[in-house]
Amino acid sequence: MNEHRRKILDMLAEGKISADEAERLLAALDRIPPAVSTTAAARPNPKYLRVVVDTDEGLVGDTTTKVNIRVPLQLLRAGVRLAGLIPMEARGHVNDALREKGIAFDISQLKPENLEALIAQINDLSVDIDHAKGQAKVKVFCE
Amino acid sequence: MIPLLAVVRVDGPMRFRLWLPLFLLWILLLPFALVLLPFALLLVVARGAAAWSVMRSTFEILSGMRGTHVEVSAPGNSVFVHIW
Repeated sequence: MNEHRRKILDMLAEGKISADEAERLLAALDRIPPAVSTTAAARPNPKYLRVVVDTDEGLVGDTTTKVNIRVPLQLLRAGVRLAGLIPMEARGHVNDALREKGIAFDISQLKPENLEALIAQINDLSVDIDHAKGQAKVKVFCE
Repeated sequence: MIPLLAVVRVDGPMRFRLWLPLFLLWILLLPFALVLLPFALLLVVARGAAAWSVMRSTFEILSGMRGTHVEVSAPGNSVFVHIW
């Protein structure tokens, strides 16, 4: 924002724009809301990863399925760090076992910096699922 | 800080409620830990930073378990786990 302001003042000093135009531009700059960071800087450091699933199966029965999971991020960080210590040969075995289960995932891609980026970006992920028996709402967020 | 208490509750065909005073377990394990400490130090000296990293990460996982909360309820079944 300061850079734009300086540019306007430079243009005014160089005579490229008049004082009125500079005033209008500065006023327009003031009307632009400051950029809000959507990352962790905007909110305090989250401590937990929450997964909440609320399933309404009232269409079939009068019961509901609910999932409420809270995992400390410290546990996830430590787990990722420990996964990073797995020898390369063993990682191959783990990847093969995951692939056999239908999970195509390379655990060597599991790095602390990736986890931090993921945590920073998970703000409030919500997925609504409609199925034959009813509706489900899955919310994943950090708190 | 390491977890001190865990509660496990399962409702369904098999039903039980369990309070696990983990702090008692740590007290019981403390003498063993003291006995094993020299061996752990030897391992660190022999294997270098990798052994130290494994031990540190294991302790971090243990201490990171505090605050874990798992609550799943379905028709006729429910599981509740909380670690303090």
